[in-house]
Amino acid sequence: MQEQDYILFEDYLSGNLDTTEIVAFENRLQNDFEFKDAFEVYKSTSKFLENHIENEEKAETFKTNLETVSSKYFAKEEASKSRLKGINPWYYSLAAAAILVIGFFFTQQFSNPVYEDYANYGTISLTVRGTQSEVLSKAETAFNNHNYKEAEIYFSQILKTDTNNMELQLYKAVSLVELSNYTEADTLFNSIIKSPSVYKNKAIWYLALSKLKQGDNTACINTLKTLPEDSEDYNEAQKLIKKLK
Amino acid sequence: MSQKKIHEDQKYIVGLVENNTFIIQAIYDKFAPKVINYIKQNSGDASSAQDIIQETIITIYNQAIEKDLKLTCPFDAYFFLLCKRKWLNHLKKTGNKEVTINEEVLSKDDDAQELAFETSLFEQQHSLYKDMFGKLGQACKDLLKATFKIKSMEEVAKSLGLTYAYARKKKSLCIGQLTKLIQESPTYKNLKS
Repeated sequence: MQEQDYILFEDYLSGNLDTTEIVAFENRLQNDFEFKDAFEVYKSTSKFLENHIENEEKAETFKTNLETVSSKYFAKEEASKSRLKGINPWYYSLAAAAILVIGFFFTQQFSNPVYEDYANYGTISLTVRGTQSEVLSKAETAFNNHNYKEAEIYFSQILKTDTNNMELQLYKAVSLVELSNYTEADTLFNSIIKSPSVYKNKAIWYLALSKLKQGDNTACINTLKTLPEDSEDYNEAQKLIKKLK
Repeated sequence: MSQKKIHEDQKYIVGLVENNTFIIQAIYDKFAPKVINYIKQNSGDASSAQDIIQETIITIYNQAIEKDLKLTCPFDAYFFLLCKRKWLNHLKKTGNKEVTINEEVLSKDDDAQELAFETSLFEQQHSLYKDMFGKLGQACKDLLKATFKIKSMEEVAKSLGLTYAYARKKKSLCIGQLTKLIQESPTYKNLKS
């Protein structure tokens, strides 16, 4: 293709041709195979550049987050495997003793599941490389260190400007449960549940845990029952329902 | 394609696009074990599985962002097929022998096969475009980056110290150059046939 062909492609795509020129262009597309081929590649190249360059930062953030989840997952995988490797026969008797102890605790728990058994929020990662705000990283640190009082303050502060951030609302609500501020927490959970957010099912699960902490087993069971079958915590929820009954 | 019903597992795709940590974690918890097992049974280890899974998720992410990927089959089958293909390709490249391929046992889901095929095609195309973009001269790279970031050609011209007309012309010529590089590459000819 000649230089003017590429200029023509660009003019056509950006709507800079008049009607006669468009007709001529489209005619040529139909009759000139090479021209059409080059045009198709030119078009998809533009599309590629548009997405690739526009989303570069977003894609980098995604990759960083993915790497964190991935290394956490595989560290866990490795840890559980190395525990199984090379068992000394002597350990079997220890294991037997351990099972007795665990069994004891298990039967204890069986009759009385408590909030603390389930309140495992893991570590959260909110900050985005390069663009994080100071408050956000403070909120993250406070939450991960179980300092919910501070975390709640920071979350509320960010939510003042970023009102619709469901992820932060969810963590704020969790912090409120930890601080035994149930009314506010449950209201927040309910508003997330009503939204079409991806955090909906998590909010249902945490709302149930909030009810558990409040000692309201009936409300806890009723909330758990609304968890859809394909949600992440479904199995755990079914077990909890059985224990509570 | 478009008439097919979108599978409810589309939520995983949406979650990836939104960079939702819960969804990414759920993908690992639910779908990674099967892949890890398969790779371990076929001359690989946990760390190769980690790489394969990560690359596969990035490909799905890119396709979702650039081509608006719609899942028409369960995520499980689709994801496993992609990881498996990627692993087999890796083995082929490193000249490793002894690979168990039980194609018929692995997936009976036609939709998954088709979609996984589209995705691997997309991946090859994507990396070809990226490689060729890397081959462009610095001036073209800068101009294109500015063009697609800033959007307004007037501002692009201003920021690069060019006249508007020249910046516009240069943009088409740079994309034209990239078009040529792509068309001339052997990978493109393979992808076309």
